[in-house]
Amino acid sequence: MTPEAEFYQLSGWTVILLLVLFYGGTLLMSTLIGKKKENADGYMTAGNKVGFGISAASMTATWIWASSMYASATSGYTYGISGPIHYGLWGALMILFIYPFGKRIRKVAPKAHTLAEVMHARHGRSSQLMLAGSNVVGSLISLTSNFIAGGALIALLSPFSFSQGIIVIAAGVLLYTLWSGFRASVMTDFAQVVAMLGAVVVIIPVVFFSAGGPDMFAQGAANLTPQQSNFFSSDAFLNQGAPYIAAVLAYAIGNQTIAQRLFAVREDLIKKTFVTATIGYGATIIGIGMLGVMALYLGISPSGGDTNNLIPQMASTYLGPILLGVFLIMIIGALSSTADSDLAALSSIMMADVYGQNIAKGKANPKTMLMVGRITMIVATAAALYFASGQMNILDLLVFVGALWGALVFPVIASFYWGKVTNKAFTVSVLAALAVFIPVRFEWFPMDGATGIVFDVVSVVGIGVVLGLMSFGFFGLKAARIIGALGALVAAPFAIGFLHDYTVLTGSLVAYAVSTVICFAMSVRSRQDFDFDLIKQRIGDYDTDSETDPELDATAAGTAASGTGK
Amino acid sequence: MDSTMLLTIYVLMWPVIVGGTLFMICKGFLRDWVEARREGRSII
Repeated sequence: MTPEAEFYQLSGWTVILLLVLFYGGTLLMSTLIGKKKENADGYMTAGNKVGFGISAASMTATWIWASSMYASATSGYTYGISGPIHYGLWGALMILFIYPFGKRIRKVAPKAHTLAEVMHARHGRSSQLMLAGSNVVGSLISLTSNFIAGGALIALLSPFSFSQGIIVIAAGVLLYTLWSGFRASVMTDFAQVVAMLGAVVVIIPVVFFSAGGPDMFAQGAANLTPQQSNFFSSDAFLNQGAPYIAAVLAYAIGNQTIAQRLFAVREDLIKKTFVTATIGYGATIIGIGMLGVMALYLGISPSGGDTNNLIPQMASTYLGPILLGVFLIMIIGALSSTADSDLAALSSIMMADVYGQNIAKGKANPKTMLMVGRITMIVATAAALYFASGQMNILDLLVFVGALWGALVFPVIASFYWGKVTNKAFTVSVLAALAVFIPVRFEWFPMDGATGIVFDVVSVVGIGVVLGLMSFGFFGLKAARIIGALGALVAAPFAIGFLHDYTVLTGSLVAYAVSTVICFAMSVRSRQDFDFDLIKQRIGDYDTDSETDPELDATAAGTAASGTGK
Repeated sequence: MDSTMLLTIYVLMWPVIVGGTLFMICKGFLRDWVEARREGRSII
């Protein structure tokens, strides 16, 4: 295999035909469900009673994005046979671990549109804006990243340029999402998931057998280091898996695209939906990661030294023209489904959190809300195109957003269960955690000697917090305390004196630990005992012209007619 | 079972799981669609 492989390119007309079929099909689906007069709540959550098939498809499609496919293959190529597991499994568990909390969130806020909106009802503006702000940045980064992935793929596999690619993808996604918002996003997710998962079922075995089948493992074993050929590789765990485990709850809590689907699915279907999406996402992403493992066994060097080229390179080398077209649709489906979810997430944040609660303040006009949502989509698309066209490395921003989400996990979760958590405790703990995270993550000071040990001890507390929170959702407080404490105790001898060498992991764990300790310390003596029933009263439908649930509307009577407010 | 066979199973098991999940999702979608038609409302 040559180190700089030439890519087989589809003809311009073939690519145009595929894109017209894909975006034309999704636009047709969107038109079929479109209403002349869309409902503002439907635009954000599709009426809170979406069935299992659509919601499971939508969760799966949204969570699978082009970058996750590329990253899983990179992990397989870098860390060997366990690499895709250490990317895909933990990413999948982000969906699984959030559902017990999701059930609680739906119970206290059945008519919510965003998680930040619930924080407003629970605490007030500063908590809401921290969550909403991080959601906006996160979704914009995701949108840009998906446009870049699409443009790069089109440039690699067709005669068209990167700029032409990003414009077509941005226009295609905006076109089918703009009118019906979240409803269009989840409906088209079904078709996209069928295209993506169907392609995975075919492409992985075809590449495997075209590349030599089982023989590649015998002949290529020498290409792997002992760590790469070890399924229990410590390199893979410490560099890829462990930081991801720490991020499991952070990304799930911080991502409005998950929260939006949580508020949309019928309440009794939350568990079934999230478990199915966990399996669908995990198997798809780990499966695609196997392309990276195969490349490693085959001794393939990524084109241009860029591991993001591995998947297109494998597809171009081992698939014929028809399956290469299927592959193109798989990636376009992955990035479009996430991009439309990002647009829907951004629009609902602007509609509910910015306009509904901070501008209209209880007097929201549904028509204006819809206009805000649609303008948001157009502006977000233009902004993402601008960032993508300069190929700005805004993924670096994700480090900050990820840290903010990590710092938010305990205060957000505790706010749904513990009446003593105050707005002040929430805000101070998150800001303090960020203030400690940044110098640790960016190594602003040397971590040798006592400083390293101190941060190792804080990280051990972070390990306990992560394990405790994960257990809490499934097994309750008592089990969480035991598992968290035991986890920290078991980890301490291995982590202290050693963990500070892994700054990504240490930074995340420190963010968890600091926000938890401060939020707990500031809340435990508080005299506040929040009545969670108030949230139902404070959050209702904005647009009561069309079909709504009379039982819930009766509960939200005080605010439903004119929007939300305290 | 030798390591080559194990690795082959390891690589090929994922598309099989994906296929199973896809079947479940399609079945669920069909059920949603039939239910919505029966009740005379939009599927979403």
